[in-house]
Amino acid sequence: MTSLSGLIPSWPRLRHIGACYAVLCAPVALLALFVYLPVIWAFSKSLYDFEIGGEVRFVGLANYIEFFTQDPTTYVAIRNVLIFTTAAVLIRLSVPLVVAKLIISLPNERWRHFYRVLFLLPVVVSGVAVLLIWTSLIYSQNGLLNELLRALGLQRFCRTWLGDPATAMGAVIFIGFPWVGGFEVLIYYAGLAAIPETVNEAARLEGCTGVRKFLLIDIPMVMSQLKLMLVLTIIAGIQSFQNLLIVTRGGPGYATYVPGLQMYYNAFSYQRFGYACAIGVLLFFLIFGLTILNMKYFKSSEELQAST
Amino acid sequence: MNLVRVIRHSCVGLALLVGGWALLPPNGSASPHSGTSPRRNARLTLRVMPGPFYAPGITPGGVGTPNRAFADVCAAYEQLHPDVAIAIEPSLGAVREYLVTQLSAGKAPDIVMVNVEDVWADVHKGWYVPLDEYLEQPNPYCKPGQPGSLKWWDQFKYQAISRAKTAPDGKMYCITYDMVETGIFYNKAIFRQLGLAIPRTWDEFETIMSTLRAAGYTPIQMLATLYVDWAVDLFLDQLYYDILPGIDLHQDPVREVYLQGYLDYDEICFLFDRGFFTRHDPRYRELWQLIRRFRQFANKDIVSEDMLRAFITQRAAMLWSASPLCYRLAADPDIGFDWGVFYLPRFTTNTSPFASDVDMCVIGGAGVQYEVTSSAYADTGNPATSPRLAQVIDFLRFLTAPENYEKIVNEHPLMIPNIIGVPVLPLMQPFAEILQRRYTTTKWCYTFDLQFLDIISRTLPLYLDDHITLEELLSWQERNLAAARHRFARRKHIDFAPLQRRWDELAGVRATMQGLPSPPPP
Amino acid sequence: MRRPGKHWWLHLFLLMVAVPTLMPFVFVLNNSFRTSSEMLHGYFGVPRAARAALSCAWRALRGSPGPSFVITDAKQTLALSHTHALRYHLRLLLRNYRDAWTSVRPYLRNTLWVVCAVATGVLILGTATAFVLSRFPFPGRTVVFYYFLSTMMFPGVLTLVPSFLLIKRLGLLNSYSALIVPMVAGGQVFAIFVFKSFFDGLSQDLFDAAKIDGAGLFSLYWHLLLPLSRPVIAVVLIINILGTWNNFLWPFIVNTDPRYHIVASGLYVMSASESASNPGMLFAAYVITSIPLLLLFACATRAFMQGMTSGAFKA
Repeated sequence: MTSLSGLIPSWPRLRHIGACYAVLCAPVALLALFVYLPVIWAFSKSLYDFEIGGEVRFVGLANYIEFFTQDPTTYVAIRNVLIFTTAAVLIRLSVPLVVAKLIISLPNERWRHFYRVLFLLPVVVSGVAVLLIWTSLIYSQNGLLNELLRALGLQRFCRTWLGDPATAMGAVIFIGFPWVGGFEVLIYYAGLAAIPETVNEAARLEGCTGVRKFLLIDIPMVMSQLKLMLVLTIIAGIQSFQNLLIVTRGGPGYATYVPGLQMYYNAFSYQRFGYACAIGVLLFFLIFGLTILNMKYFKSSEELQAST
Repeated sequence: MNLVRVIRHSCVGLALLVGGWALLPPNGSASPHSGTSPRRNARLTLRVMPGPFYAPGITPGGVGTPNRAFADVCAAYEQLHPDVAIAIEPSLGAVREYLVTQLSAGKAPDIVMVNVEDVWADVHKGWYVPLDEYLEQPNPYCKPGQPGSLKWWDQFKYQAISRAKTAPDGKMYCITYDMVETGIFYNKAIFRQLGLAIPRTWDEFETIMSTLRAAGYTPIQMLATLYVDWAVDLFLDQLYYDILPGIDLHQDPVREVYLQGYLDYDEICFLFDRGFFTRHDPRYRELWQLIRRFRQFANKDIVSEDMLRAFITQRAAMLWSASPLCYRLAADPDIGFDWGVFYLPRFTTNTSPFASDVDMCVIGGAGVQYEVTSSAYADTGNPATSPRLAQVIDFLRFLTAPENYEKIVNEHPLMIPNIIGVPVLPLMQPFAEILQRRYTTTKWCYTFDLQFLDIISRTLPLYLDDHITLEELLSWQERNLAAARHRFARRKHIDFAPLQRRWDELAGVRATMQGLPSPPPP
Repeated sequence: MRRPGKHWWLHLFLLMVAVPTLMPFVFVLNNSFRTSSEMLHGYFGVPRAARAALSCAWRALRGSPGPSFVITDAKQTLALSHTHALRYHLRLLLRNYRDAWTSVRPYLRNTLWVVCAVATGVLILGTATAFVLSRFPFPGRTVVFYYFLSTMMFPGVLTLVPSFLLIKRLGLLNSYSALIVPMVAGGQVFAIFVFKSFFDGLSQDLFDAAKIDGAGLFSLYWHLLLPLSRPVIAVVLIINILGTWNNFLWPFIVNTDPRYHIVASGLYVMSASESASNPGMLFAAYVITSIPLLLLFACATRAFMQGMTSGAFKA
């Protein structure tokens, strides 16, 4: 008898479990419908060729083969996304960190707070508005850049910065200069603020200050933040294309075309949804692989501390 | 500290207030994008997208009085059919994205205005209603004895061009409501001052443009899209016309009557496999080089410049545009010069060794085209039994009744009437003459899907502005055509066997022809 | 003791970075008061209407004699009293804002709707789910947890196209639901993790004590858990609001009907349409649409900063 009652849950406990499941059913169902089903579809539909409302034809791996062997835009797009991602990594791992270091070097908490708020302020402007501001106010024919060049007598350098294949990519990377208006500074700041005072004290006693301390002490100590930013920037860099859609639509020509845009156009402009799904799947594997590599080869500061 | 709290709280209060205000529905006025509000007690509300030329409230070209005739005709129809209401829908900028989402969601208007070539890619999905059957029936709004009283088709003046809009599947998905044609607008004052006359050949045309450039004018205002669309069609026709007897393989019994020698996608696929339209095809090379030569006479920025401004301010002597511009120019009180219109002159053997030496063909033709979408028979789901579809067709017929038609099309001189018995406005006369010419050999950039068009649209401007070389351009176009050929062979089940038979039959004809492509390397 | 001179260098460097960061926004603010013809004539410059208004106000204050002359759009010259002229110029000054407001207002309304609905949904589902996962052992808890966790693995680029197909299949294209439901579904995951790690850190004694007092499941949740987690809720809310506010692509794809545009997609459509011919009006629209978040920022600076630091984990 006793062993049985241990196996069969009591009524209040059953009720309790029932309540738990009742609470969970809505979020579980939502995820099943809006995350897992699309993921399954992404894989399954990438094996088909179909337009909305059109004939659905099983083509096996033909979409993948087309991506690598027939689509004339593939390699341009891959080259561009590599350049964009590299540039984004270089920028996001350097400038905000330096600025965070500058802020934390201020002795007065009020000033530190002031600068953190100041650099966070631009997030209130809609991201789309920022991009449109850059295209219209800064890069356009009569934008800031050209006006400044004219004022300096350098007329011959004036151009439509986003419309010239030679400068379009540089201009896109340059958007947001000096790239500190956002959350990166805060993340590095949090990392720097978390460095134990004993470490700072020891460094000072050893005579390790300024740039030397920044390179030898601070950077290793914020390695987990750097690693996080690296992962986030790579993931975002590979899949993000909405900025390019707003700013250049991948042009002029294919100067700023990336696989994400290729996917977007194939789906929503050319109506080749199966092919677009295939591109999405390939990008997923790329991101997945890079994340795993990253976790394997870049040790975070906690791990570094543990190993030394 | 207290002050900070007060400020914070007042911020919250302000945010809530502003939020509440913004959340209130806009005062009184209906949503701004519905032109007319449908009547309440109507049994049926037909949704119609008249398109930018006739949409009520729109001022064509930004000059003169706003349109109203379409709304008047709709009101007359509602008067006639008290249980029917017509809701006029706005036309949207991004037509393609719009079509995909709206049509696939079944939310499109019953009647839409789209270039029928954009529709052809989707006809097999049942998004559009074939109109052939209805065109064979009489139009009840035509008086007995008049054209249309026996067969709706008879009402249309430009039969060849209208019937040429038949889709590749052999069905007609649009009413070709009116005609539009392109032409070169030129500044007569500048021409007179420099002693220039309307050119009869392409060489004369180039000489004129050189003279104009030497005199400090921009010879011709152009846009990148015009090279991609119009220039390619005209030039291709000029270069390939005389070898058409050897390469036109498809003898379509319905369409070929009107489209003498028109090259469809299957023919172009087949020819591509034989080395045509590749870097091994000398005519194809010549095509892009000639366009590049033509581009040198145009404005510096063909991608984003306002075409019209330089022409109106007399810094540019010519402008390639279409009939609706006439109205814009005629109605502008500030234009201080005479202008005229001529059509592009023919290539001669001086222009190119491959020139066919025939007059330039018509590339414009059908202007506003109305398609009936699947929304029209959403009531029964079957076009044959749908009373709603019958009503939509009835309304379309009402729109083509001469007295209504004249009100709409001749409200402003924008388009050339395509209905018999409706007078051509004087400003449209030159275009009506151009329309007498034969129709083009291809609509090259619309031959395949939007991906094909997109790649041309992106790469040709690069070549025209010297960002890529001819070889690079040819390589892009070749890969583009190869990919499109693959997609189409897969999607459309092209049967190449009859084309192959015809190709073999025509071997003798081709034997006499010069400059055919050497077969591609294996 | 550090030498004071060193800090001036820090300030100088920081200002050198801050000025170009904020400068575009200053230009936007300034140009939002200028007409398109003013902008054609010079990139820099104080709005003409503002200068005129100031001079009128100055003259009115000094009580200088004589009328103020005003040149209208139709090139007519009017002689007005100083106060009338001032009012006239102020109206001109705000003209861009008035025009922008009429187009931006529906976008703002839609955005506020969607933001509120998504935030509410995420908050309710997030706290309840995290509560259950954190505090109640039940069979399958780990499975459910991993079920939530593994959704983090799938990037947006993988699910974008199939999600569109799904929304289409559900017949939700061009509706508020097309925005709200998927955003709640996606947004809850991050909320669940943040709430769960917070709830895990709470002392079990609190709950035991409440249970002894006879509190039921709901009562525990409502009277104990929610009041305790106010700061975390603020952080999650801020991240969620920012995420919804800045989501451009999804609304742009699923809602092509202008009636359902939110600020992000609406601004893009505006800039691409006819209204782009008056840049001043667009700039005014950018300013107007920044105000709600600016107010939020002013109200909850601290939660904002915490949110941005932890929000990065979501991206």
